[in-house]
Amino acid sequence: MEEVLITCDNLSHVYSGGVVAVKEVNLKIKRGELIGVIGQNGSGKTTLVKHFNGLLKPTYGKVIIKGEETTNKRVQELSRSVGYVFQNPNHQLFAKTVTAELEFGPRNLGLSEEEVHERVEKAIEFFNLDTYRNQHPYRISFPLRKLVGMASIYTMRPDVFILDEPTTGQDNITTRIVYQLIRRLRDEGSTVICVAHDMILLAEVVERMIVMRDSVLIADTDPKTVFSDRKLMSSTHLYPPQITELSHRLKDKNFINTYALSIDEMQKVTDQQLQVKRSK
Amino acid sequence: MRGAVLPISMVPGNSVVHKIAPLPKLLWAVGVLIISFSTRNPAILGAMIVLGLFLASISNIWSSFLKVMGILFPIMVIAIFLQSIAPAFPQPWTPIAQLGPFTIYQEGIYSGLTLFERTFSMTIFAMVFIMTTHPSDLFVSLEKIGMPYVINFILTVTLQLIPILQREFATVLSAQKSRGMKGTGFGAVLPSMVPVFVGAIERVQQMSISLESRAFGSTGKKTSYRNVVMGVKDYVIMVVGLLASAVTLYWIIVDKSLDWSRTMHFSPTLSVILVITAALIFVTFIVISVSKIIKT
Amino acid sequence: MQNINLKIYEGEYVAILGLNGAGKTTLQLCLNGVIPNMIMGELTGDVFIKGLNTRDYPTRELAKIVGMVFDNPEFQLTQTSVAEEVALGLENLGTSPHDMEEIIGEVLQTVGLSGLKDRSPFELSGGQQQRLAIASALAMHPEIFVMDEPTSNVDPVGKEEIIAVAAKLNQEKHMTVILAEHEVEVVAQYADHVIVIDKGKIILDGTPQQVFNQIDVLAKCGLRTPQVTEFFNQINQSKKLGIKELPIKIDEAESLMLNQFEKK
Repeated sequence: MEEVLITCDNLSHVYSGGVVAVKEVNLKIKRGELIGVIGQNGSGKTTLVKHFNGLLKPTYGKVIIKGEETTNKRVQELSRSVGYVFQNPNHQLFAKTVTAELEFGPRNLGLSEEEVHERVEKAIEFFNLDTYRNQHPYRISFPLRKLVGMASIYTMRPDVFILDEPTTGQDNITTRIVYQLIRRLRDEGSTVICVAHDMILLAEVVERMIVMRDSVLIADTDPKTVFSDRKLMSSTHLYPPQITELSHRLKDKNFINTYALSIDEMQKVTDQQLQVKRSK
Repeated sequence: MRGAVLPISMVPGNSVVHKIAPLPKLLWAVGVLIISFSTRNPAILGAMIVLGLFLASISNIWSSFLKVMGILFPIMVIAIFLQSIAPAFPQPWTPIAQLGPFTIYQEGIYSGLTLFERTFSMTIFAMVFIMTTHPSDLFVSLEKIGMPYVINFILTVTLQLIPILQREFATVLSAQKSRGMKGTGFGAVLPSMVPVFVGAIERVQQMSISLESRAFGSTGKKTSYRNVVMGVKDYVIMVVGLLASAVTLYWIIVDKSLDWSRTMHFSPTLSVILVITAALIFVTFIVISVSKIIKT
Repeated sequence: MQNINLKIYEGEYVAILGLNGAGKTTLQLCLNGVIPNMIMGELTGDVFIKGLNTRDYPTRELAKIVGMVFDNPEFQLTQTSVAEEVALGLENLGTSPHDMEEIIGEVLQTVGLSGLKDRSPFELSGGQQQRLAIASALAMHPEIFVMDEPTSNVDPVGKEEIIAVAAKLNQEKHMTVILAEHEVEVVAQYADHVIVIDKGKIILDGTPQQVFNQIDVLAKCGLRTPQVTEFFNQINQSKKLGIKELPIKIDEAESLMLNQFEKK
């Protein structure tokens, strides 16, 4: 039984002005989970996730991180356990070199120089940033900057990584790299929570989906269940990946009897359930 | 940093004051400014304060007005305390009471009170003006009387950018706090400012290409979508404002008996109470503000 | 960019594909004169827009023929209300206030923002903001509309809205649309002319059918094809179906599946 790292106990958040952004959310997040949090703009997904590292505090209810309530904890303290990678890396980057950027987090944690150095080296290796060590963060391409952003949180070794739209605005190659990195982070023992609109990320990489709509948590289950449910998807403006849509149409026509979340799955379904027409 | 920027901006509304064109209102505000600086007569200043408060009340801007005053009022009030113990006034000074180590002077009370009234009256009129005037209308009116289009544009964009850059700054602070950065001290300045600046530069770069792609910078006649039509009422208000200011100014310059600095007498108890209240208001304000800043 | 030779015809819906940094934006900025007039660098060769050489006209002149929107919706907005943002270009052209009112109403309707005339642009959603940017450029009645990754910073609902507007401009308003985009499924659905740029060179230039069937070429430069195309490529080989032209749209894929297979 894996350790529970984050608990939301009847969590509600009301912004000043009376806007209810999150209403009575209950959930538990364990070590090693790979989660996608989705919902439209205004659904409350970003508000929810900001409670996980203390950027927001509950208006009602509780949020418990590694056994302690967040209410009186500062973001800086919680950053040891929960790292938040912001969507726009430009909001983080300020140092003269990539290396200096990676050193910032661990230094803030008060680690020794050796420890800082070791972590930076590990991050450079993990994210394949060796060529860019001494480059100025603003001189490297945007996709690479996003990786530097992730790496600079990686050096803090949090138990949980929150990635805000990790693949938005990225091209195909970098997107694939990010998918791999997310899997590797989890394999190393971290919990990864992605707030995303990337359907392929949600269908092929994450293992659990938390769906928000109008401040309420309307689904908390695996991707297959979500992507099989047409009503759920349209109610929250989710458009499944093209291959999944194809499987829906074929299933509706009773041609196949399962849904496919990826091209490989579709291939398997075809192999198992269909045969090439003799009469051609 | 959060409470540091005052929520001063237009408050949408339909009041009589809202309906007046920007130029007459600007004129009145400027008139009040000039008069406040030309006299120390508490009655004249007091009359302007009353007038200003009256205008504020008929414009339906109370809640925003009070929010801003909540921050500015305590700061203005400290003038009374400081002046009363060290008047910015020519000697001789007449002591009228003792408050611990401090001596309260007659001229000090006068000076403090009038200084307060002066800033208060200017602030009230400035607030009423800003809160009842749409910036675009103001800029269009100024353009009509000769301000260059480019200045208008720069002012509009700047006005938009201020809240945006504030928001960006808050985001950057959140991002850096999420990396364990302590929120205060020199170590917090660079990681917080660089991203905001870079963001601003990138924004302006894309903005300038976007503008050029919409024919910005074309020579030739420019028209304006927004139009401010001055009605008879507006012209009348302008003229009344001009006359009132001119007459008051003349009176101030000519009538020496308006200088009450030596003739007004304050009772010692009243003076002490006044000074203590002023100091208390100011200190409470400082304590609340500092605790808010520490909390973030 | 190197050695670009390109012809775009009136009324085409052109999509430009390529990795970040491949040269899509550079190419697009050449289309309204920003390159070479506003950005430093060296341009050899010429770009003609409706017969006019972009070297000879400043961007603000070409703006009447070529409208352009960029990838960050908010960066393009400067005014205090939606109507004023749309009016920006018109003010610069000296349009009469009466005509302005009409044009503003018209373009706001085209992009679906009719009820929001007095709203502040900064209170709008990302998708709305981008549509406002489109409306603002549209007010000048350009014939060519260039869009540089307009959906990349927008949520899915906003994406759909923007893509629908782009399709409308091409199909209903008969404008030539040139769109740089990463989502290949969208490109396959709407474009009739696809250009693939890799490291500054055009490596593919044809119809979506032609381009997306070149799976190996695309894979080599790191680009993917629509999922249905990739899937059919796999089963075409593994099941030896002998399909000459792989489907690029979901409808084609569906009928092809029903056509080629039967239940076991």
